[in-house]
Amino acid sequence: MTELEQALTRLGAEIEFPETPELAASVRRRLAGAPRRRNLGRTLALGFAALAVLVGAALAVPPARSAVLDWLGLRGATVERVETLPRVPATAATALELGRPVPIEDGHPLVKVPLVLVPTALGPPDAAYVSDAVPGGKVSLVYEPRDGLPRSRFTGVGVLVTQFSGEASPGFVSKLVDQGVTVERLTVEGRPGLWIEGGPHALLFRGPDGEILEDTARLAGNTLLVEHGSVLVRLEGEVSRERALEIAASLD
Amino acid sequence: MGDRPLAETELVALAQGGDSRAYQTLVEEHQTIAFRTAYLITGSAADAEDAVQEAFVKAFYALGRFRPDAPFRPWVLRIVANEARNTRRSAGRRERLALRATEDPLSGGAVPSPETALLGSEQREELLAAVEELREEDRLVIGCRYLLGLSEEETAAALDWRRGTVKSRLSRALGRLRERMEVRA
Repeated sequence: MTELEQALTRLGAEIEFPETPELAASVRRRLAGAPRRRNLGRTLALGFAALAVLVGAALAVPPARSAVLDWLGLRGATVERVETLPRVPATAATALELGRPVPIEDGHPLVKVPLVLVPTALGPPDAAYVSDAVPGGKVSLVYEPRDGLPRSRFTGVGVLVTQFSGEASPGFVSKLVDQGVTVERLTVEGRPGLWIEGGPHALLFRGPDGEILEDTARLAGNTLLVEHGSVLVRLEGEVSRERALEIAASLD
Repeated sequence: MGDRPLAETELVALAQGGDSRAYQTLVEEHQTIAFRTAYLITGSAADAEDAVQEAFVKAFYALGRFRPDAPFRPWVLRIVANEARNTRRSAGRRERLALRATEDPLSGGAVPSPETALLGSEQREELLAAVEELREEDRLVIGCRYLLGLSEEETAAALDWRRGTVKSRLSRALGRLRERMEVRA
């Protein structure tokens, strides 16, 4: 280091910068404020609840959540690779937690949500549900099994399309995966997405401290997550990557 | 959150899972360097505060795109500096960088040694004035590297340049600063 560089380094140590304002608290208030606009009571109860999907072949019963080995994410969604998966129910259908059924009219569910995307490649859904069990709410579209849409051993249906408000709770849908599962970052019509394949995964919520709320956990199959503007779309079914991408590309 | 302080990678992992308290700790750890970087760019404490607050909110929502094996500081400084440049653009003006060296650097009771000798106040003012006279690009790269003590990688992130560009521009900026100091001498 030259003399000039040394002098500059010393100058840096001696400069009196304006006092750093207390930013951490104001940032936290701003972050907490975002979901509060939508549903105050629910948000206060859940805090930054997170919906997690765990992926893995073996379902061990560790006492606590295991170390995070890897991480991928979207707005409102995370995928974590862990050593061992927490326990989740072996039977899925009972834990689907879709909420209350809503009527479908002209191929669209009648819900008071600003934007509900329907995959036109699959046509109108066979059933639709809404739930406010998560911040921002969720809308689920159910497609019954048919040619090219085998019945999922995890959901009991053909394809399940779930939509969350990705802005209501960042890091909200998260997936834990273990080594046997492939996670691929991709884009669908230019929108960021994640494809998870190769093993069952379990769907669950995280509480405000990151703890897993066990009663919401269930197993799930191949899943495509797509960030569609402020909406996070989760598409689950025993379909190939290509078919899932085709269905996701038709979201309208 | 446990008995021992969490490592940064653990805090980042928790924050990525939506843990706002873990994220608050990360903000606390990085707010000073973030604020000073934004101040270097905007030249205004108020603009810097706005920019850094906005940047930390955006960074939280962008955590999904952060690779957990990467260092957090350059990643967040890139977002902070970008926000600071936006703030400055919308402010429509560029204030003169108002760096002010501490009045009494010896008040802490430090004993100057040849290695850590503090600059004489006259020399310090000369050097500061010469830095402030530099063109913006030169002032920013020297400011980031020496006044803020950012690494080359962090400087590259903050200025949105490649590392090779940081090296070459820094070398040229030092050359021009040296010329100015010689003129003043």
